[in-house]
Amino acid sequence: MSGELHVTLRQDAPIPLEAQIDCAPGEMLALMGPSGSGKSTILRAIAGTYRAREGLVRVGGETWFSSAEATNLPPHRRAAGIVFQSYALFPHMTALGNVMAAMGHMPTEQRAPRAAEILGQVRLSGLEDRRPAELSGGQQQRVAVARALAREPRVLLLDEPFSAVDRATRHRLYREIADLRRALKMPMILVTHDLDEAVTLADRITVLHKGQTLQTGTPEEITTKPNSEAVARLVDVRNLYQGQILGRDQDTGRTLIDWNGLQIEADATAADDTGEVTWVIPDGFVVLHRRDRPSRGEHENPVPGIVENVLAIGQTAHVTLRPDHAPELPVQFSVPLHVARRNGLERGVRATVSLLSHGLHLLHQS
Amino acid sequence: MDWTALILSMQLAGVTVAVLLPIGIALGRWLAVRDFRAKPLVEALVALPLVLPPTVFGYYLLVAFGAASPLGQIWEQVFGQTLVFSFEGLVLASILFNLPFAVQPIQRGFEAIAPEIREAAACSGMAPLTALRRVELPLAWPGILTAMVLSFAHTLGEFGIVLMVGGSIPGETRTVAISIYDKVQSFDDSGAAQMSALLLVISLVTIALTFAFSRRIGRRLG
Amino acid sequence: MTFARLIAFALAFWAATLPRIAAAESPVVAAAASVQFALVEIAQAFEAETGETVRLTFGASGNLARQIRQGAPYDLFLSADESFVLTLAEEGRLRDQGVLYAQGRIGALVPRGSDLKPDGTLEDLRAALQDGRLGRFAIANPEHAPYGQRAREALIHAGLWEAIEPHLVIGENIAQAAQFAVSGNADGGIVSYSLAVAPDVAARSEFALIPADWHEPLGQRMALTKRAGPVAEAFYAYLQSPAARAIFDDYGLALSHGEG
Repeated sequence: MSGELHVTLRQDAPIPLEAQIDCAPGEMLALMGPSGSGKSTILRAIAGTYRAREGLVRVGGETWFSSAEATNLPPHRRAAGIVFQSYALFPHMTALGNVMAAMGHMPTEQRAPRAAEILGQVRLSGLEDRRPAELSGGQQQRVAVARALAREPRVLLLDEPFSAVDRATRHRLYREIADLRRALKMPMILVTHDLDEAVTLADRITVLHKGQTLQTGTPEEITTKPNSEAVARLVDVRNLYQGQILGRDQDTGRTLIDWNGLQIEADATAADDTGEVTWVIPDGFVVLHRRDRPSRGEHENPVPGIVENVLAIGQTAHVTLRPDHAPELPVQFSVPLHVARRNGLERGVRATVSLLSHGLHLLHQS
Repeated sequence: MDWTALILSMQLAGVTVAVLLPIGIALGRWLAVRDFRAKPLVEALVALPLVLPPTVFGYYLLVAFGAASPLGQIWEQVFGQTLVFSFEGLVLASILFNLPFAVQPIQRGFEAIAPEIREAAACSGMAPLTALRRVELPLAWPGILTAMVLSFAHTLGEFGIVLMVGGSIPGETRTVAISIYDKVQSFDDSGAAQMSALLLVISLVTIALTFAFSRRIGRRLG
Repeated sequence: MTFARLIAFALAFWAATLPRIAAAESPVVAAAASVQFALVEIAQAFEAETGETVRLTFGASGNLARQIRQGAPYDLFLSADESFVLTLAEEGRLRDQGVLYAQGRIGALVPRGSDLKPDGTLEDLRAALQDGRLGRFAIANPEHAPYGQRAREALIHAGLWEAIEPHLVIGENIAQAAQFAVSGNADGGIVSYSLAVAPDVAARSEFALIPADWHEPLGQRMALTKRAGPVAEAFYAYLQSPAARAIFDDYGLALSHGEG
């Protein structure tokens, strides 16, 4: 069973790093974090254009970097295909030339036909003789992908590959990458600062902050069960609160929490039956009580309050509610815009939401 | 018309460019890519001939390579003639004196290549020399061309340092610029006028061709 | 592609220079600027007679002596002042003390149309200094050009040195000083007789000799250097032949001058 990518990196300076990444063959792992979090540095450490003080980079049975064994293969001897943020195409070569440039490992006469084949795979047939300056942003990105694949890489590294194109092109490229990756058998690392992009494309997400890998999990795990406040903030879970554990309900087995005087229940089991706890509830688990008909789960953790703000983005209304028992701890949730209209949600109106107990996630206790 | 001097100047300029090219590429790329503490000092040393009078430069060359100096004596023992007042001496002086004209445009040329392009070359499996040949040199080409033309034209026109370390030996160290000077002193005004005009035309044409050429390259790279 | 062409171009240039380096070279004669016209003519006559060529380079005698000291590959040295030859001979850089080939004379030269008159007694120069007619006056550099030294001595003898100093333009050698004066860029100058009689100069200027006893005698001496070969020796001998003597004399480079 070869092909798995394993990376550990550690250093204090110049860029602090404490990273652990594992990626299986055929898996796409998103390395997600804000700019300056060290994503690109980690990618370069894998490709070999950056050398970390300590660590290990192994692909399958092959060691590319090991501070312990004093091994450090130069980038041209690491079979890593990389798509740069700016694409970094060779401007003096045609599309075909760019792809052939990465085929040094193949006999000369096989390069041109193989390069044309790969360009066909990324749907660029007919544009082989264009130079990068004569291609659109999306076409350039596809040449960059083709060039990265031309090397027959053992890992594929994508460094913010969608940041330089417009929104419409980006969504089309998402689909293309999703199609393409099904045919690829190597570990793939996608570096991005965009949560939606990571959730859309990746099998798993590793959250990175200040050079440190904080949490790795499926998109659902990451977005609903952040393991720290930092991750919660990075995955945009804004409903983050402190509470007091009261104990366990004997019948349901649920954890009882005192939230500033309001008792709420969580399916999750606390490590300890007493003490302070930090908990989150992603806004998808906050359910609005509708006027016209009872909602599912209305009996779970009802929180009455006053609507502070309604912000419509596209067809979704993002609502801020100030609970009666603790107006200083607003609850964020979103509903389809038509639901917000039908229920007359607007600033100053009374409304009640339920915090679904299975979505309530306990972070840590002190 | 002193054809011997003209041919000599062309040869001097040609040899200077040929020797300076690899030096300029190595030094220019090093300065463009690497960052180290002593870099400003190295850059200043390279740029020194731009501000230093040729006479000062010539004086130090005489001191360093004259018949009395250890280097000059070693040279004389090996080659049987002194380094100063010889064509080889002029080549050496010319190389040193043209360093900024060769290194600076080449350095700018390499600096204009985005670091990601260099990384992309390595990550495409190109060994450093392959990457240099296939990616970096073609992209730095306008700078390299400028460096070659400037060094060539500047060597053709160099006077002070040739006068200092070269003397005016026909076919050996009497370059076009020196020959013009000699012609003026021997009251050969028409000879001086012809050679000056020729030098003017050669310099102008060379530089104009370079500008036209680098514009064409610039368009190609878009 | 373009790069390969560039390499080929560079190599071609290399190749073009190789024959030059390999070629056997004719001897180099380094001579004072004052003898340049005479020597060119003598060298032509020598070539016509023997088929051998020499290469000529001219400059201020002091500079040429310095270059010989620094190892310049000269085979024969014709100095405007014997002191340079004698010193070099003493230092062992010459084959021997050589021979005198001329007594140098200086004179006042004015370009045609100048406000100055050619006057060997420098009286008109004195008058010009007083009435403000004099702009620039050219001499060779007294530091390393023998004719410049003699010009200074003559001006001191006439009592004009301090008055004329602000007006002086200094030629790097006597030929440059003459060039300044003949071209009209200076109102006049003190130059060698040998240059003043050259057709190019004589046609554009007027000249009057300064009395020989106003300055130290200027014994012009030549000698072979240690590296001189047979051709240089032959040319050295030719320079002492009656044919060469006649050309020297024509250019005012006689071995002894009658007064006048």
